[in-house]
Amino acid sequence: MSKKAWTVLGVVLLIAFAGFAFAAFRTSLTPYVSYREAQGGTRTVQVAGALEKGSTSYDESASALRFTLRDPQTGDTLRVRYEGVKPANFEDAISIVAIGRWSPGPAEFAAGKLLVKCPSKYQGTEVKSYS
Amino acid sequence: MSALSQLYLPGAIAVWCALAFALAALWGYVDLARGDESARGFARRAYAFFTLAVLASAFVLLVALARRDFRIDYVFQYSGLDLPWHYQLAAFWAGQKGSFLIWLFWGALIGVPLTRSIGRHEGPVMGIYVLAQLGLLFILVRENPFLMLDHAPADGQGLNPLLQDDWMVIHPPIMFIGYALSAVPFSFAMAALWKKDASDWAARAFPWALAGFLVLGTAILLGGYWAYATLGWGGYWGWDPVENASLIPWLFGTALVHGLYLERTRSRYRRANMVLAVLVFLSVLYGTFLTRSGVLADFSVHSFVDLGISGWLIGLMAFFGGLAALLLATRLRTVETRPNEDPALSRGTFLVLATIAILSCATVVTIGTSAPILTRFMENPGQVGPEFYNRVNLPIALLVAFLLAFVPFMTWRGEESARAVLRKALPGLAAGFLATCVGLGLGVTNPLHAIFLFLAVSALATNLQRVVRLARDRKLASAGGYLAHVGVGIILVGFMASSAYDESVKVTLEQGKPVSLGSHSLTFERFLPRDAHDKERAEVAVTRPDGKVWLAYPKIFVNDRTQQLMVHPAIRSGPLDDLYLSPLEYSPGSPGGFARLQLAKNESREIGDATVRFLGFNLQAEGNALVNMSAGKPVAIGAVLEVTRAGRTERVEPVYRFEQSGRTEFPPLSLPGGGRVAVGAINATAGAVELLFDGLGSTAAVPARLSLDVTRKPLVSLVWWGMYVIFAGGTLALVARARQLRKLDDLPPAGRAAV
Ligand code: HEM
Ligand code: HEM
Repeated sequence: MSKKAWTVLGVVLLIAFAGFAFAAFRTSLTPYVSYREAQGGTRTVQVAGALEKGSTSYDESASALRFTLRDPQTGDTLRVRYEGVKPANFEDAISIVAIGRWSPGPAEFAAGKLLVKCPSKYQGTEVKSYS
Repeated sequence: MSALSQLYLPGAIAVWCALAFALAALWGYVDLARGDESARGFARRAYAFFTLAVLASAFVLLVALARRDFRIDYVFQYSGLDLPWHYQLAAFWAGQKGSFLIWLFWGALIGVPLTRSIGRHEGPVMGIYVLAQLGLLFILVRENPFLMLDHAPADGQGLNPLLQDDWMVIHPPIMFIGYALSAVPFSFAMAALWKKDASDWAARAFPWALAGFLVLGTAILLGGYWAYATLGWGGYWGWDPVENASLIPWLFGTALVHGLYLERTRSRYRRANMVLAVLVFLSVLYGTFLTRSGVLADFSVHSFVDLGISGWLIGLMAFFGGLAALLLATRLRTVETRPNEDPALSRGTFLVLATIAILSCATVVTIGTSAPILTRFMENPGQVGPEFYNRVNLPIALLVAFLLAFVPFMTWRGEESARAVLRKALPGLAAGFLATCVGLGLGVTNPLHAIFLFLAVSALATNLQRVVRLARDRKLASAGGYLAHVGVGIILVGFMASSAYDESVKVTLEQGKPVSLGSHSLTFERFLPRDAHDKERAEVAVTRPDGKVWLAYPKIFVNDRTQQLMVHPAIRSGPLDDLYLSPLEYSPGSPGGFARLQLAKNESREIGDATVRFLGFNLQAEGNALVNMSAGKPVAIGAVLEVTRAGRTERVEPVYRFEQSGRTEFPPLSLPGGGRVAVGAINATAGAVELLFDGLGSTAAVPARLSLDVTRKPLVSLVWWGMYVIFAGGTLALVARARQLRKLDDLPPAGRAAV
């Protein structure tokens, strides 16, 4: 094969790869949605909210953590089930992001991953006063 | 800008001095670059003073931390009286402001050896380099760590418990050395374009690029190991934005190392390398922007909020990106480079393909990490999960492994036929084939994984073959690249095995009851309280198939200050697999409250599943009670009970002892069929006894329970070992390239341009 042919082949492969990457990007994109949209949806999405105090329970038989998220803006709530290692700072999170999908049977949001936002490491948690 | 009275002056003055001296150094070096030799002394002195001022400001912050001077807001926020000295040190970089200071600290220090390795390019290179330091300084002046509170709190807020870890002392500072080093090849490239003198920039930038590659890689390894071993994130890599923020520059840096190699040996790729050097630096800025600006606040496990510096970071990126674009656009054409005259099947082609593969990986990771920004304007912005990276990187990894397997035998001119190359690679390919057979036997099912395993082990073996060969010829010093590739082969196998073939189950263990999991058996023995050495932890006995017992101590504890629940996994690392016990939940159970029951003589009552009848007191339980009482000696009275349980009746006699001093003792007695009984009190006037039951009926003890995530991760150790081997190879290469540079500097000026 001539050098030109190799180059063409390379470019074609690169374009094919870019297409493949783009498709993978589209399918694995998990958009942020409201609780309303999450309920009844079929694709993997993410929802955010504040942990409802006292709503946490650990179900040993199912190895699942259950809790309720509340949307600070709309006041909506969402029951979430999570079957993973409970994040270290779960209880004092100011906000929790749950990534997963709606599970219609038990009518709860089955999260595969949680992102726990704590009072920031980069900013003090208490109100300070400067002179 | 804050009023003077709000600033801790020793530190603030040092920062301002640093700014002034940096501006002076910039001035001097630009003059020098313009050909004014007399500016050299001034510029160097200004740079020295800039370095001293930066050191001084770091020193002031350190002293403030050591003195626990909580008037200083930064000290107040990140430190506290309860912190041992090494966490006081870690508090330096626990916050945004301090982390910019340590970045600048390394940047200033690196400039000192840098001036010595740049020969005639001192003016332009240092000019650009100082410009990069100035960018950081502007942020630091704005984000001043020396702000003061209007009062002096008695104690600080303490360090975030997540960060109270030995790794916190070491991982961030090393990361920032890597970040600081990224400005060096950038400065070389920009200077070469500026002065239209690119003849030796590659030789000079090479050791620095390798150093950056090594240091950033080390920091990534430390971060990954931290996440794996103590934070219990379950893995060493989660494709979290903060992880990607350092991976991207590292990948660009790896591409740059190969480009520089091509430039040094074939004088090719010169223009591409300049672009790569720019990408390394810009990706560091971009990563900082992503993780510090708050754009990803809802997408990362690290909590980053908008700290009001996103504008500055965007400004920095725009400035340096603009500068680079301008220089590249106007001057890149002038850079002489040799056209590619090598045949298609040659070493050169493989190197080009390697850079393309590594760049594709960097691009994919950049796009994935930027997803929240890219989709910002869509209806529902989102992010991509690990499956995106895993899927897209698999073909890239296959290509990398393929290229690596054959590159040791490729020649520049491609004199050898494909057949000859294959023949030389045969031993390595045989090793790959063998490993694949073993893998298939052990349960590799996916054909892609089998191909991957074959190529990765072949790459490992062919490169190892080459290293051994070079070592035998006493040329080990030049085997750096191949050794690094051996590491890449190792790490690729580790990635595949540990991510695609891990097995995980969740179990709940009742204290004392063994549970078998596959061939292992786990028993939750007890929960240990905090002691001088360790935090609260569970003791779990893991019995292996060969009968050996490993005592695992997964930790679950509450941080005293923040009341935050913390967990640390217990890991048993072996050559073949890691057993990873991550605590999910611990419920202490209850020892079983006492049930109280008052019985008159001959009265009988039911408690739990037993019927208890009180037959009467025994005054002869331990000597005659009445005699002892009048003699003032300890008295013991037995309560004779008849306990009927499951159809069987038995007599038990718990005793009650008391002394004149008022001391009483009522040892519990075991009951047939479980549970215990004791005499709680004696009512002599009524002739009644009060009995205490433990573990009977509804008050039965609830055993403590521990829920664990138990994961077997095959071959994780290969990930660490692969990294060590990559670093060993990189270090060899660094030494070799630094030595070449020294030779270059020994040449007379006329000879240098030719090199
Ligand atoms: C390879 C990717 C990385 C890994 C696996 C990693 C891991 C970690 C972990 C586990 C922590 C402590 C826990 C936490 O903050 O949630 C941490 C903290 C830290 N890391 Fe990294 N890190 C990585 C990249 C970086 C980068 C790119 C930087 C910046 C230059 C950095 C600087 C820091 C700093 C300053 C801290 C302490 C303060 C903080 O939490 O931000 N690390 N890292
Ligand atoms: C993608 C396939 C790759 C190919 C075809 C490739 C090819 C090469 C070649 C031909 C050399 C020069 C060896 C010599 O003659 O001394 C080299 C050097 C090197 N490679 Fe690679 N490489 C690849 C991937 C990697 C990766 C993924 C890493 C590290 C993570 C790496 C690290 C190094 C290092 C550190 C050097 C030493 C540079 C020097 O000599 O100064 N390579 N590579």
